[in-house]
Amino acid sequence: MNNFSIKNLFEFNKTPLNLLVAVLGIVLLGAFLAGAAYYILHGHHAFNVTRQHPWGLLIAMYVFFVVSSTGLCIISSIGHVFGVEEFQQIGKRAIAGAIITLLSGFAVIALEVGHPVTMIIYNVLTPGFTSAIWWMGTLYGIYLVFITIEFFFLTIKVDHKWSKIFGIGGLLSGLAAHSNLGAVFGFLISRPTANGVFYPVYFILSAMITGCYLLYIIYGFKYRNDYPEQLKAMFLKLNKILGMLLGILIFFEAWKIITALYGTMPERAETILHVISSPTFIFGEVLLGMLIPFAIILFTNGQAIKPMVYASLTGMIGIFFMRYDLVHDTLIYPMTMLKRSEYQLPPTFLEYFPSATEFAIGFGGIGITIFLFYVAEKVFNLDPDREH
Amino acid sequence: MARYGMALDYKSCINCRACESACKAENGVLPGRDNYRIWVGQKEAEGEFPNISIASMTYHPSQCQHCDNAPCQQVCPTNATYYDDNGVVRVDIEKCILCTYCINACPYDARYVDDRTVTVDKCNFCSDTRLANGETTTACQATCPTKVRTFGDLDDPNSDISQLIAKREYKQVKEHLGTKPKLFYLL
Ligand code: SF4
Ligand code: SF4
Repeated sequence: MNNFSIKNLFEFNKTPLNLLVAVLGIVLLGAFLAGAAYYILHGHHAFNVTRQHPWGLLIAMYVFFVVSSTGLCIISSIGHVFGVEEFQQIGKRAIAGAIITLLSGFAVIALEVGHPVTMIIYNVLTPGFTSAIWWMGTLYGIYLVFITIEFFFLTIKVDHKWSKIFGIGGLLSGLAAHSNLGAVFGFLISRPTANGVFYPVYFILSAMITGCYLLYIIYGFKYRNDYPEQLKAMFLKLNKILGMLLGILIFFEAWKIITALYGTMPERAETILHVISSPTFIFGEVLLGMLIPFAIILFTNGQAIKPMVYASLTGMIGIFFMRYDLVHDTLIYPMTMLKRSEYQLPPTFLEYFPSATEFAIGFGGIGITIFLFYVAEKVFNLDPDREH
Repeated sequence: MARYGMALDYKSCINCRACESACKAENGVLPGRDNYRIWVGQKEAEGEFPNISIASMTYHPSQCQHCDNAPCQQVCPTNATYYDDNGVVRVDIEKCILCTYCINACPYDARYVDDRTVTVDKCNFCSDTRLANGETTTACQATCPTKVRTFGDLDDPNSDISQLIAKREYKQVKEHLGTKPKLFYLL
């Protein structure tokens, strides 16, 4: 741990980039608090979710945060669980990031679920073992315990044996939790576009990609593109891993789309056709999230580090759209139940646009991440220990 | 214990929607676009002029199907959604955390958020408001002027509903999903 005082919490290098991030963090944190206050006063009516579109931006942002957490945990485990040397140096910072993003996700979901206290009580008293939400929530709780203890043995009471044991526990519970989050969608027999094996697998894959992007961003920010040699070596490996993961993701997505369109099965084909012609998919998911980073890795033979930092920023925007579309696309086909003339116009795809409160809480969660990261950097020494 | 269901002679429905009003009044359903336990849907006429099929233009009263294999129950993380002793799918407002997973999971759009309790609500065959007081009909059945609805015990071979579905052909909605719905649309 570092020497820590309230005074040095406010001391940082006042470079333009640092100031920008500081202002951004404060604004987002303020937005979160304002959104939370508005929600507490007005309840669910502060959100634009409806009977037909019961989930919205907050679920997407929750997924966004926990994907980030799982991703950081998986990528960092390459070093401290599987023993690949170049990755050992990122362990502490990545696990700190995993804890922080998970807490940010929990903060967002606590304001989405109507009764979070009841949730904690009845999750234990009357567990719904057939519910993917129950498994996901419980496993994420276990995961948080594991990675917190792992972090303790990495930074406070350094003990590599125990950090590895809890690291393995964290990795396994994180994988289980995250694929269960995919199953929350995959189990929906009422929604043909989501139902099936795709999401549980895709969630793990996209988590690993998110973890790579975040590492570029975190270290790019820290070193301002002036990296020590050992970090360069790690990034060159990360480039290759990310390239491969993106290739697999593009392959998966392509086949998901083709199988959904093939045979024009009612509900599914129409929905996917609508989805793939929407700008959030074409520009958000495909261009920003996959193609730009993939092209850079491909055309530089995996040697570029600096461009990948910028590509990771577009990548994370793409990842956001993947999470947003995941929720929206699942619900977009109207559950008409022959209500056509009575309650809604003849079936059209459902519209949803988040309310100001949803934006404030959802994106405000990023403020929590920035703030906690800043504190963690001050309090703990997240750089590798000397003996490495 | 009973296993309640409902048969609907839907071709007799005249779309007066007395059932919707009766349900709202009986169960105190609040006004609001999304707040309804039951509804009457309309199937548009099939065919092109001049061969428009008048017979195809029917009204479809509907509500929660009280599935024997209910997706809403399976996905509920706290078992707030449960089958009561009469096979009626109900929500325990003490346990509901308002995750709205069940609203996503129900293939019949039968659920909504009730602002009175800030939990999920749906048709419960008037279990609290009528059956608990010893009545044997639901509000929607009692009010229907053309006798579309027959509510009753599917396990009792002598009940009106058992007699009806034994004698008449019926269809069910989205039964291919394996939900085993207990609403029977008489043909
Ligand atoms: S119709 Fe919907 S709410 Fe009713 S039991 Fe079936 S799944 Fe549940
Ligand atoms: S909203 Fe309530 S009843 Fe529905 S799944 Fe969640 S806890 Fe269960």
